[in-house]
Amino acid sequence: MRVFWSIAGVEARKRMSYRVDFWLNAVIGFVAELGVAWFIVVAMFAGADRLGDFSRNGMLLYFVAVILVARIVRSADMEWSIADDIYQGALSRYLLYPANYGALKYATQIGALLPISIQVVLFGAWAPFALGIPEGVHITPASAAMCVGALAVANALHYMSCIPLQLVAFWADNCWSLLVAHRITASLLGGLLLPLSLFPAWSQPALAALPFRYMFAFPVDVLFGRVSPAEYAAGIAISLGWCAVFGAISAAVWRRGTMQYTGVGM
Amino acid sequence: MIRYLRLYAHFIRFSFTRAMQFRFDFFFRIGMDTLWYAHHLAFFWILYRHTPMLGGWTLDQMFIFAGGVFLVDAIQMTMVSNNTWMLPIYVNKGDLDYYLVRPVSSLFFLSLRDFAANSFVNLLMAIGLFSWALARYPGPLGAGAIAVYVGLLLMGALLHFSMHMIFIIPVFWLHTSGGLREVFWALDRYTQRPHGIFTGWVRRMLVSLLPFALIVSFPTTALFEGLTWKLFVHLAGVTAVAFLLMVFIWTRGLRAYASASS
Repeated sequence: MRVFWSIAGVEARKRMSYRVDFWLNAVIGFVAELGVAWFIVVAMFAGADRLGDFSRNGMLLYFVAVILVARIVRSADMEWSIADDIYQGALSRYLLYPANYGALKYATQIGALLPISIQVVLFGAWAPFALGIPEGVHITPASAAMCVGALAVANALHYMSCIPLQLVAFWADNCWSLLVAHRITASLLGGLLLPLSLFPAWSQPALAALPFRYMFAFPVDVLFGRVSPAEYAAGIAISLGWCAVFGAISAAVWRRGTMQYTGVGM
Repeated sequence: MIRYLRLYAHFIRFSFTRAMQFRFDFFFRIGMDTLWYAHHLAFFWILYRHTPMLGGWTLDQMFIFAGGVFLVDAIQMTMVSNNTWMLPIYVNKGDLDYYLVRPVSSLFFLSLRDFAANSFVNLLMAIGLFSWALARYPGPLGAGAIAVYVGLLLMGALLHFSMHMIFIIPVFWLHTSGGLREVFWALDRYTQRPHGIFTGWVRRMLVSLLPFALIVSFPTTALFEGLTWKLFVHLAGVTAVAFLLMVFIWTRGLRAYASASS
């Protein structure tokens, strides 16, 4: 555990060292992403007061929250790091370390969360003042604490879901397109592009069963007080179930991949 | 000119040969782009379940707009994306020297050398979706108007390329891993949404200083409302200015390039 936190600390310091690049990308990325969502919402509400269970400000607040949640869950976009290690042969040294490789990489992901958490606080602090707390949103200390738990599980779930795709790098020259495909799918089915309640009724059971909802939309729903304790427990259980599935797949692929890994990259 | 066309034909041949050696990547990339198209269409389809118009366009019009986005994106992915991805790496590692000594334009060579053969399949798919969106449109669209639309989209693709390079070339001075590439991709979201939804100074900026709304939205407006001289001059003028600016900063960047120590 001491090694885990030590690696996380090193990664956090590394992330903070490229300050201009980091803040430029962070601020423009957030403003641009929120800007597009903002104008889409304003255009959608041009002829209506409510859409589904959302008022205009309610949906705007949802987008602010889900964009910031996605930053924490994706954690500095480190989905590529395992595939990179395999391509470049850097995996060799990790194989010699007396520690679990997956845990070491997860420690770097946790370390990268520190500067992102600062961003999230700074970028999100203005929202309740600008938008107010719309009807149907009940943010309480309890819902905030539950949201922290949901975020921790969502971060782990996202990390676990990317590992099997990254391990394809043992066989394929370039698996980045698989990770982009994962990103596209998770954005749409996870509620990052649109609130999931806007999807057709027939798709709701599938959305609830798939892992993507629990990466982005679920922590926001928890924060907004829209999830009962029973639904919260069910959501966390489904997330952990998917983590176990991705973990089992990863372990099987890892065993086969390391057996034919040559240590000099692909 | 003939020399450059022959050179480009060689680039294409080499790219197809290379693509067939890495078959996994070939099919992965096709799958990725197919998902991207599907997610885009699904996004608009779900939106229009809750509103009849968005930015002044109906769902049928929005699908044509989406077809235009796919076409410009596929051209970009096929012709320039691999090259723009590698350019910052060449600059930071000093590998640019190898390309600068070639007896051809360095800008031509470095921005068009790697033709993405796998994305070429997606270009065909994008053309198919574009044709489907045009075919299902209930109103009359003449062949002339469609030809003008395609021509304007090609101009939009040139503008997109110029903007992309303008954001990457600063790597000569910044020495970051990708210049301002992440900023470009963040702003490129505005290309994928109709300019009718934007208002005020944001809209003014998107048709002038950061002309992302001109890339697909303006050509689509010309298709539905007819091409006016004002619109054409605006689009052509901004494209020309962006291209010349890109060539200018490329030249300045090469002067600032300090080889391996860069």
